Amino acid sequence: MSTRSKWFLLPMAALTAGLIFAAACGGDDDDEGGDTTPGATSEATSGSGGGQAPADQQKIRIAQPEPQFLDPQKSNFEQDIGLERFLFRGLYNLTDDGEGGVEVVAMMADGEPVVTTEGETAVYTVKIRADAEWSDGVPVTAANFVYGLTRACDPDIASPYQYLLGAGLGDLVGCDALAQNTDPAQADALKAALGAKAIDDKTLELTLAKEIPTFKTIFALWTTFPARQDVIEEHADAWTLPENIVTNGPFTLSEFAVGDHLTLVPNASFVGTAPVLQEIYVQFVDDLSAAFRAFQNDEELQMTEVLATDVAVAESSGLSDNVLVVPSARITTIEAQMTDPVLSNFGVRLAISQVIDRQALVDSVFDGVHAPAYYWVVEGLVGHQGNEAFEGVIGYAPDKAAQTLADAGFPDGEGIPTLRWTARDNEQKRNEFAFVQAALAEIGIEIEAEFVDAATRSTMFNAEDFQLFPGGWQLDYPDIENPLVGLFNTDGGNNKYNCSDPDVDAAFEAAFTATSEEARIAAYQEVEKNIVEKLCGIIPLYQDARPFVVSTSIGGVVANGTIDAGLPGNYAPENWFVKAD
Amino acid sequence: MATTLPADYLAVGDVAETKYRGLWSDAWRRLIRNRLSVIGAVVLTGILLLAFVGAFVGPTARYTAQEIDTSADQRQTGPSAEHWFGTDQLGRDIFARVLEGIRVSIEIGLGTATLVLLIGVVVGSAAAFGGKMSDNLVMRFTDVMFSFPDILLILLIREILINREIPILSNDRVLIIFAISLTAWTTIARLVRGQMLSLSERDYVLAARALGASSTSVVYKHMLPNTLGPVIVAVTFAIPAAIFAEAALSFIGLGIPPPAVSLGELVKTGYVVIQRNAWAVVFPAAAISILMLCFTFIGDGLRDALDPRTR
Amino acid sequence: MLAYTIRRIIILVPVLWAVATITFILMHAVPGGPLTPEKDRPPALQEALERRYGLDQPLWRQYTTYLTNLLQGDLGITFKGDREVTDVIRDKFFVTAQVGILGFVLAISVGMTLGTLSALNHNGPLDYIGVFFATAAASVPNFILGAFLTIILAVNLGWLDIVGWGGPNTWSELFDPAAYDWRKMLLPVIAISVLPASFFARVTRASVLEVLNQDYIRTARAKGLAERKVVWGHTIKNALIPVLTLTGPIFAVMISGSFIVETMFFIPGLGAESIKAIVARDYGMIMGTTLFFAFVVAIANLAVDLLYAVADPRIRYS
Repeated sequence: MSTRSKWFLLPMAALTAGLIFAAACGGDDDDEGGDTTPGATSEATSGSGGGQAPADQQKIRIAQPEPQFLDPQKSNFEQDIGLERFLFRGLYNLTDDGEGGVEVVAMMADGEPVVTTEGETAVYTVKIRADAEWSDGVPVTAANFVYGLTRACDPDIASPYQYLLGAGLGDLVGCDALAQNTDPAQADALKAALGAKAIDDKTLELTLAKEIPTFKTIFALWTTFPARQDVIEEHADAWTLPENIVTNGPFTLSEFAVGDHLTLVPNASFVGTAPVLQEIYVQFVDDLSAAFRAFQNDEELQMTEVLATDVAVAESSGLSDNVLVVPSARITTIEAQMTDPVLSNFGVRLAISQVIDRQALVDSVFDGVHAPAYYWVVEGLVGHQGNEAFEGVIGYAPDKAAQTLADAGFPDGEGIPTLRWTARDNEQKRNEFAFVQAALAEIGIEIEAEFVDAATRSTMFNAEDFQLFPGGWQLDYPDIENPLVGLFNTDGGNNKYNCSDPDVDAAFEAAFTATSEEARIAAYQEVEKNIVEKLCGIIPLYQDARPFVVSTSIGGVVANGTIDAGLPGNYAPENWFVKAD
Repeated sequence: MATTLPADYLAVGDVAETKYRGLWSDAWRRLIRNRLSVIGAVVLTGILLLAFVGAFVGPTARYTAQEIDTSADQRQTGPSAEHWFGTDQLGRDIFARVLEGIRVSIEIGLGTATLVLLIGVVVGSAAAFGGKMSDNLVMRFTDVMFSFPDILLILLIREILINREIPILSNDRVLIIFAISLTAWTTIARLVRGQMLSLSERDYVLAARALGASSTSVVYKHMLPNTLGPVIVAVTFAIPAAIFAEAALSFIGLGIPPPAVSLGELVKTGYVVIQRNAWAVVFPAAAISILMLCFTFIGDGLRDALDPRTR
Repeated sequence: MLAYTIRRIIILVPVLWAVATITFILMHAVPGGPLTPEKDRPPALQEALERRYGLDQPLWRQYTTYLTNLLQGDLGITFKGDREVTDVIRDKFFVTAQVGILGFVLAISVGMTLGTLSALNHNGPLDYIGVFFATAAASVPNFILGAFLTIILAVNLGWLDIVGWGGPNTWSELFDPAAYDWRKMLLPVIAISVLPASFFARVTRASVLEVLNQDYIRTARAKGLAERKVVWGHTIKNALIPVLTLTGPIFAVMISGSFIVETMFFIPGLGAESIKAIVARDYGMIMGTTLFFAFVVAIANLAVDLLYAVADPRIRYS
């Protein structure tokens, strides 16, 4: 056990309630979403009302993008990870606590882990449920978890979320060494040295570099799901095909038509709540406007994400009962390069912030689905301070903006060269640019757009090759430290806009050495106050939300934005059901 | 493969009898007798005036394509006295945007036609006069270019060149013109080669010479028009083909990047909000169709007038 | 003729090699690769990924490896989901071919009917309608027609569906009537067939007109043959030959059409897939689809040339 006091881990564990799958960005760190109030589930879809229809009517059809992999250790994108929770489950499971928050409960694990510490190192011993079985009737064993974790760290698998088990997060002993190994001769020795051992069939021993408050959360994530060595070795990459796959989650895969759809049916061997639905037909759709049209048009389709601009159409065409807007733990911001000679001037950044009418931006480009934000720590997190705290400092103030810019030494924008705006190329980003361009023109600042594809955009960001960069931060896990640490400290790895401020660094230091939860939160709030009020590399615009349409005939869909991945309430599809007429 | 079919596939091919007249005056007479061509030319002139002049002066120039108005009652409106074609998501005037889209389309069309002509004539003559080796080489190369799926090739070239600091090509319109031209020149090159090769052996050239026509007269009155005719026709048809290609690429979101306004992009933008404001798709779609129709009519007329094979 | 066929197929090899080489060069000239991360990725992970897909090798070696594998019919794997490129092409082309064949049948029947009627009614009202249709259809882009049909037939009237493809997804479903949903098939087939139909109409009209002016038709008429017999017995058959030559280029036009139409109607075909492949820099799929389309067009052109020889006894290939 570390020198940090133990009692402090308990509330922290509760806080760190679940990694959002969304880091798994659906290919898009820049995704559009919709609205506002956390927990704003529409009445039509909250699970309570109405009984269940008979079993032969328990079939639904939903739409989402085609998954890339159904292999938990290989998955990168939201559309994969969302579906993997239908098919597989880990030691623990993230679930809704009934109050809009997140609870971590035992799934394949039999109760709480037993922790012993030797110096810094922590050994977690976890019992596997005796009755846990795969869909082919074979028992779920500790060896399945060892194999899954070995794959997660194996450089030949190249798991995109290996870092969840790496230093600073999961801290699984030997994982980083294995992942960074380039010598095939060393591979077996490194795999053997991994801190995951099967003591017997039902006893798993995990060795972590130190005790972590997030143990159960991490071991509820897809990257740590168990894997069947015999099945994977027999079928290699084809192991996730319907004829080969074995699952330990509520559903199993009965059909996969490439490019078109897949079908899920219940897994009778699942140890958790038996699913009500007898068939889920997942139609692959990439384009949200087409998906919405299909929902309107096709009575068979019962659930899909939609474009923000289609929410108004849904509401005006008698579908308002079907609209479900789920808040997203993401702030969209303008990232401003602090090493730029002009943008390093606080007055310029403040003038930009003062001249952009966030409400008008959200109302026009996104039909009011997102919510204006003058803060950085999202609504719903402990420590969130909200618009009230900062709007007075950096808020929309059209009458002050010109003066601010003049005071900064650039009256009417004279002396400011045309600034570059680097964005992804899609409809909403184009409109967002047009809006900001028009706003900045009012105070004489000219910007020109450079629209690029997602990969180029992130390459440019990582190379710090930008001036103004519409981006944002999607939480990896719901804790106030996540959107701050590494993003704003002077030497932070994600601090590509070069925010470097002594007050910010001092506040970070206070947070790192805090001895109480209150002090830690307060220190991070001080960080947020400093970065927002000084616009240190960021000019916050809005908090995203994601709109869905869900048929009123489906019950049990309880959206929990922080743990949903791509579809509302899909962390617990076993609770979905078709209502009785 | 090219999106355009070689011009002779498009031949409506009326078989008509004509007395001998001067080739150019004859062609002109035929052209202005073709009612559809004349209508096409008149409508096109009107559109060009509107897009290149009207968009900057007069009552048609009240709004610019970029001007936004985000008040709720000014967004996604239908046609009105104020906004003749309605407004879009940001309250921008669709009439002004369509005019700018037309300017872009025309630039793309004419630019591509010019570049295609240039490449086609150079490569075609190289093949015709460069000896057997170079003829073979050039013809095999056009074979290969012909086998490429053109949209994939355009996309690859676009992805390679976009956002690079290359002189001239860093202009997005030039870039798109360049990408489309690289896939569209094969038809012209083959045509030029064929014309050049067969020209000197044509009966009418030999006949004219035998009848004592001077060299200049043979070239001016017979060879030139007979070479130019089919090439002019093919180039004319390259214009709507390029307009279509750019619009189609913009429609799938991979055409000319903003802030340039493309008609294809306007259709796509409108298609997304089609249930709220169908007008947003109707006007740009009509603009593309009318533009292409005009060029096709003019091309048809030119072909009937100029291409000797259809006589 | 056999020798000719074999020679044509042999010529195909260097053409396909050139297509493969040009595509390979262009593809690697595109900035970013299939593994360019959207978020910062640890260098070790990036290297591991590159090793897994062989991207750590020098370019020339990737090129020679690709060609060697290609000779053995191995097109490699996709970066999206690690599937065999050949499997993906087979599955996706099965759908593209359905759209294409149905569209082709619609185009040729509508186009030839219109063209013949126009010619037989030369300069009459039917002729004007036919010519106008042909010109208009060649001018209205398929995506615009598709958009209008979608608004009217799917959104406003609700008669048709627009997302996905209504035909079978696998060979085994080919003869299963339940696998067909015409509500989803009609719009894409109409959209893809309009442009080819206009070409067929124009060429048929020109060709029939030309035949009608031939001496043997005049002779047939002069010797008092019934007009019906003249038209069907002599004219149409002979007019068919130029139409036949059109089918090769039409194939190319329809493949071009498939990129847009499949993307717009969300049809899981090879056209839409190849555009996605370029955007995602999926090297295996870019190479595979480009080569495959080049191959299909070449084979189609060869088939048309051979058919041409069968239909017209005057043509001999040696």
